[in-house]
Amino acid sequence: MHNICKRFGETKALDEIDLQIYSGRIIGLLGANGAGKSTLLRHIIGLYLADEGQCITFGCNAAKLGSRELGRIGYVHQEGELLEWMTVKQLICYVSTYYPNWNRQLEEKYIEDYEISTKAGVGSLSPGQRQKLAILLAIGFEPELLILDEPASTLDPIARSQFLDLLLQIIQDENRTIIISSHILSDVEKVIDHTVIMKQGRILLDCGFDQLRERFSRLRLSALSGVLPAELPFANVVQCQRSNGQAILTVQDSSEEQIEEAAQGLKCKVEIQTLTLEDIYKIVVS
Amino acid sequence: MGKRSRKKMGILTVNLKHLYQRRGLWLAYVFLGFLVFASIAEALDKRAGRGDFIIPVMGALFVGFLVAVLQIEVLNKPFSYCLPGHRKVPRKFIFSTGVAINLTASLIFLLYPFLYLYWPHRIAVICSAFFAGLVFYWLGVLFAFGVRNSWAWIGFLPLFIVGGGFFGLHIIIERAIVENPIGITLLGAFSTIAAWLWLGNVGLARRYCGVPWVGFFDAWNRDKLRKYKQIRANIKWDKLKKHPKPWVERFFLGRMNKCDYLGTGRYVWGGLYTTFGLLLSQWQGNIIFVLFMVFFLGYMERMWFLMFFPLIGIAGYIHSPVYSSMLFSGGRRERFATVITLAATTAVLGGVLFIILAALSVPLAVIIPDIIVRGITIAFHTITIKLFYAPLVFVPFAFTINLIFYRKPIFIILSVMLLFMLLFFFSAIVWLNQLSTIINPVSVLSALVLSWGIFVLVLRYICTRRCLVGQGRTY
Repeated sequence: MHNICKRFGETKALDEIDLQIYSGRIIGLLGANGAGKSTLLRHIIGLYLADEGQCITFGCNAAKLGSRELGRIGYVHQEGELLEWMTVKQLICYVSTYYPNWNRQLEEKYIEDYEISTKAGVGSLSPGQRQKLAILLAIGFEPELLILDEPASTLDPIARSQFLDLLLQIIQDENRTIIISSHILSDVEKVIDHTVIMKQGRILLDCGFDQLRERFSRLRLSALSGVLPAELPFANVVQCQRSNGQAILTVQDSSEEQIEEAAQGLKCKVEIQTLTLEDIYKIVVS
Repeated sequence: MGKRSRKKMGILTVNLKHLYQRRGLWLAYVFLGFLVFASIAEALDKRAGRGDFIIPVMGALFVGFLVAVLQIEVLNKPFSYCLPGHRKVPRKFIFSTGVAINLTASLIFLLYPFLYLYWPHRIAVICSAFFAGLVFYWLGVLFAFGVRNSWAWIGFLPLFIVGGGFFGLHIIIERAIVENPIGITLLGAFSTIAAWLWLGNVGLARRYCGVPWVGFFDAWNRDKLRKYKQIRANIKWDKLKKHPKPWVERFFLGRMNKCDYLGTGRYVWGGLYTTFGLLLSQWQGNIIFVLFMVFFLGYMERMWFLMFFPLIGIAGYIHSPVYSSMLFSGGRRERFATVITLAATTAVLGGVLFIILAALSVPLAVIIPDIIVRGITIAFHTITIKLFYAPLVFVPFAFTINLIFYRKPIFIILSVMLLFMLLFFFSAIVWLNQLSTIINPVSVLSALVLSWGIFVLVLRYICTRRCLVGQGRTY
């Protein structure tokens, strides 16, 4: 994606987006509601057209994607549009007809694991069941690029855990790329290796997840005697909470050695923790 | 106490604001404006006993229906059940609007002839007209509350008007108002008390609170309609079990499998399956429809234009694959080809349907007897085959409307109604035997080129320049 801009009336949905997605990555696309995540994903598959800029998917202009390229992309969408008047079995049969590489074994295993009734009408499924079916339809042909737009939003905790296991299973294939947009960050962090954080149509952060986790650290300082000094000698502090001889600091771009070195002069106990994705996200967007 | 009543008045005032804040209502006002104009024009004629004064009285049925639908939308919101004072406001709203409207409408009887000399009778007749209007008003309210998604039945209003006119209902009611004012007043008063008590029932508010409901103005919102259908499908699935029959599935999937995986053919057949699969599976219903159409059009020779209506309706309401958010291995080019094929198939099937109707009407015309209603003989005629190519002209227009107004279904309904009215007026001025002079190879060819040309250009624009799915009004 190069310099993509998209407006919906007065709203700037995407603002000069530059993004490279390499194969084999599992990308977590994070952002608040209305940040532009779904809009960005829809540009990748050509459902939306950019006002400015260019989006290339599998070497082809996204607006001109054909059967050859789209046959390699699986997409679970927020709207959950399915053919209500078919039975589950008929819908799977219909969708599988489009793909020569449809994996029947995966289909059967998935149906069994998720307890999907193939005789039920699609219209009669609960939101969670519909989502499970939508996921099956997107992964059944083992796409090279799997786009999951809020895939777990309607799943219950057990189904979510099963879904994450399934994702871990899917990503065994090294060439497969997965883009997952979700609000449930505790789930996402288990599977992603790259993070893109968006806010108001702009990309705030685009980096590897490990790299991101290394960038932020949380220090818990406990004074061994008395109180901690008013000025703490740590660089790049982004958050600080103090109380009764204790302090919790969040620092950015500081290595463990640098932190230990800075803490040497203080008579205190230092614990260094890594941050969860949710904590990092809050820091980045604020 | 005074403070409390002011607060309640505030809620009512907010509800009354619906009457001018809802843009959709402006369309209803156009219709009501037409009714007022027609009422005054008829009344100025000053001829008694012909039912000329009855339009505003019977028009209250539509007004009551409209007002009640608005209030069901309010009751549907959980806050109107939970917040103090809200639950009973719909009753006040319906009642006050009904009284105001019918009081104004009943004044039309001031123009009624032969009443000038007898003031007591004149007042009694106006009173009677007021309460007769209220009876119709409550009927409209009752219909709105009693029938699920009652606004969808509004299309039958012309049928009610034509049917009522045919059986002289307007004359009977006008005479009853003038000749038996006390009886009508009592009936109206009784129905008003009953309606007041019924509308105040807490069970009514409970029945509508938070229930999936498509209001009159939700017809503007395709996403809401889709969600509603989804909920209804969930409830109704076990009863209806509507899904493609195995032979339909085998046929379409077989055709898909014969096409290349990377070709357009597979996607086109898929589009045909998702559009016509269910329709073909319900073949028994289709046969009943064909038989009904044969009888209807055979007897209603002058109403030949009605032949177009179901077809235009179907074409106008098809879920166009171009806007599908289900991603298959087909891009914009494939979507373009699929919609073109769909339109062509619908048009050809429509033509074939006409030929079948015309062919069936030939033997039936010999054996089917004439019907005599109120002294009028209605004969069964053969259906003209001259119009079999009409779907080829009308279907692309309907598809174009569908493409342009896909996210605003109300505009599809309005456009189809407009097209229907145009056909109505056209059929009123053109007899069947005059068609041959208007319809000639040049005019048919020009219409074909025009309708298909516009359709292809619009579709091409959408497929190359527009976003195909959307989640807001402005997509």
